[in-house]
Amino acid sequence: MKHTAFFKAASLTLAAVAGAACFAGCGGNGYTDKNTEYYIGVSGPLTGGAAIYGTAVKNAAQMAVEEINAAGGVNGVNFKFVMKDDAHDETKSPNNYASLFEDGMQLSLGCVTTKPFLATKTDVVKDEVFTLCPSASGDAVPQDASNVFQMCFTDSGQGAEAAKLVKSTYTDTSSVKIGVLYKSGDDYSVGLFNNFKAEMGANYGGYNVTEASFTDETSFDSQVQTLKDCTFFFMPIYYTPAKNFMLAAKGQVADTAVYFGCDGFDGIDSVKGFDISTIPQEVSMLSHFNSKATAGKAKEFVDKYNAKYTSAADKGTLNQFGAAAYDCVYAFKAAIEKAVADGEKVPANIAAAEMNKILTKVFTSSSFTFTGATGTDIKWNADGTVNKAADKYIVKAANNA
Amino acid sequence: MIKVLTTLINGLSLGGVYALIALGYTMVYGIAKMLNFAHGDIIMVGSYTILIFFNMIGIPLVGLIASTLISVLVCVVFGIVIERTAYRPLRGASPLAVLITAIGVSYLLQSIAQIVFGTAPRTVILNFMGTITIGALKINVATIVTLAVAIAVMAALTLFVNKTRTGRAMLAVSEDRGAAQLAGVSVNTIIAVTFAIGSALAAIAGAFTVMKTYTVEPTMGAMPGIKAFTAAVIGGIGSIPGAMAGGILLGVIETACDAVPVLSPYKIAIEFALLIIVLLIKPTGILGKKKREKV
Repeated sequence: MKHTAFFKAASLTLAAVAGAACFAGCGGNGYTDKNTEYYIGVSGPLTGGAAIYGTAVKNAAQMAVEEINAAGGVNGVNFKFVMKDDAHDETKSPNNYASLFEDGMQLSLGCVTTKPFLATKTDVVKDEVFTLCPSASGDAVPQDASNVFQMCFTDSGQGAEAAKLVKSTYTDTSSVKIGVLYKSGDDYSVGLFNNFKAEMGANYGGYNVTEASFTDETSFDSQVQTLKDCTFFFMPIYYTPAKNFMLAAKGQVADTAVYFGCDGFDGIDSVKGFDISTIPQEVSMLSHFNSKATAGKAKEFVDKYNAKYTSAADKGTLNQFGAAAYDCVYAFKAAIEKAVADGEKVPANIAAAEMNKILTKVFTSSSFTFTGATGTDIKWNADGTVNKAADKYIVKAANNA
Repeated sequence: MIKVLTTLINGLSLGGVYALIALGYTMVYGIAKMLNFAHGDIIMVGSYTILIFFNMIGIPLVGLIASTLISVLVCVVFGIVIERTAYRPLRGASPLAVLITAIGVSYLLQSIAQIVFGTAPRTVILNFMGTITIGALKINVATIVTLAVAIAVMAALTLFVNKTRTGRAMLAVSEDRGAAQLAGVSVNTIIAVTFAIGSALAAIAGAFTVMKTYTVEPTMGAMPGIKAFTAAVIGGIGSIPGAMAGGILLGVIETACDAVPVLSPYKIAIEFALLIIVLLIKPTGILGKKKREKV
């Protein structure tokens, strides 16, 4: 059979390509002068593939605002909540932010997702709008921005929290064989993995740990072979490959083992065509919110949310994104109330930059703590990251437990 | 030792799937002298067919066999229709035009799938057969089935090409299209048959791919397609035993890389590096024939 020079060149080029592919001023601008309510704004996906997250934030924040206003507002001043759709597209979020700011926004929930937020960050910092992100978890979100705070854990924070959880759950290092499965070449996965490793300490602090990674998802047979004797799996990956690994490991990994992931696992129990109860092992995740909570603020939130949002479009939107947004609004309220109690003046038409000065002081003061659906005694670090306990949330218990 | 054996079996099984896909590339290249980059997307078409019929039938084993057979039929029809409408009008056109058309067909199929089925991945569990224990060896039944079926299909194909009239006509067209035509072989029919066989193999490979990945999505054919193409080139494109050898080699290397955690992140780099090395040392591939330049 014949070969041409063209063919050789074409195949080499294509193979190489395929290989590579595997890899407005502050203060007196007057925007807020006519405000009669505190204006909260956010940009997030209400359409497109990530719409479920944006809808959750919209519903939950709206619910919090309605509750607070019905109960008399914040020292008599009501909240107003406006959300603009960015379809998780970082080319749309800057416009959304600008129009919200010029419309009189004084408090911001930033963006629902990380990338669109980072596209607006320069303006957010310049305009000094106080921002509390419910769900944009990227490490870069609060970095070098004194006015940006997070309600969720940062990506790296999750890795460290997971390690702390392992250490507190298995105090006897010989009682557990840990398997780590991460996706090489993926920032989220590698970031969590590295922080997990760092927090565990040198040589994993004496724990028996086996690492395995994958690049594409063609087959998990080898990874299953590498990890099959482990009894606890730390899986800083998204739920699609996680579920595939669990399916491939059926009959190979002990039924008493535990699969443990981070926020990438959120949604693993509602994948169409995948019945999580067919996985014999326990599936759990690190989360600041438990949608099946039976007590406390989380349960209150879940009950109210389920009662209020019953339409088909809201199905499956009860998640940690919404819970965090709900908490953000209440945290605004708590912070303003504390500022007023401390003698600050916070009128409804306060300039955004003034509001920021007051709230930043409150959020970074050691005496300010907040308790909500996503945690108790939540505090904020000076760098804007949140300081709260992470819980192991069991998505599905072991079948023979 | 057990680990080496398990890795080898898993590797042969994955290699079998790559070989089935690589055969489609190599046969079409050998006979029609074109690179059919839409071949990977035929796997996707087959997988969606399996998804639909497997769920419709609902009985696991019957469903798997029946839906795979239906998928073979659907893919054969797709293969023939694509060849007739997109490639035949370009017979004799520059190879670049045909190549671009093939890439276009690939995007067309992916986009249609996105419109019809949406972009979200769909889960289907074809691997319901559990594990089998032989001594200290514990292996998925699906892995064994994949390997066995792949070997059977390759043996059948070898017999077909070497022993039947149509098969020999295919060999003749690949040797010299003009001479074969003069000897009374209908080149168009032979090319259509080649596309049909390649698509049928892709449909079977689709079933095994889904068995390993549990996922059906519009872009799922791209990566197996490009890897199988690599396998075909490593083996010597145009050579049927070459595609089989290349596919199996690639599958074993890939599984071995994944089995060694240190190498795992570099898996794809290693595979494509192998391609480059083979092309540098033996530009025609491992089993490729040398081209004689006639002056």
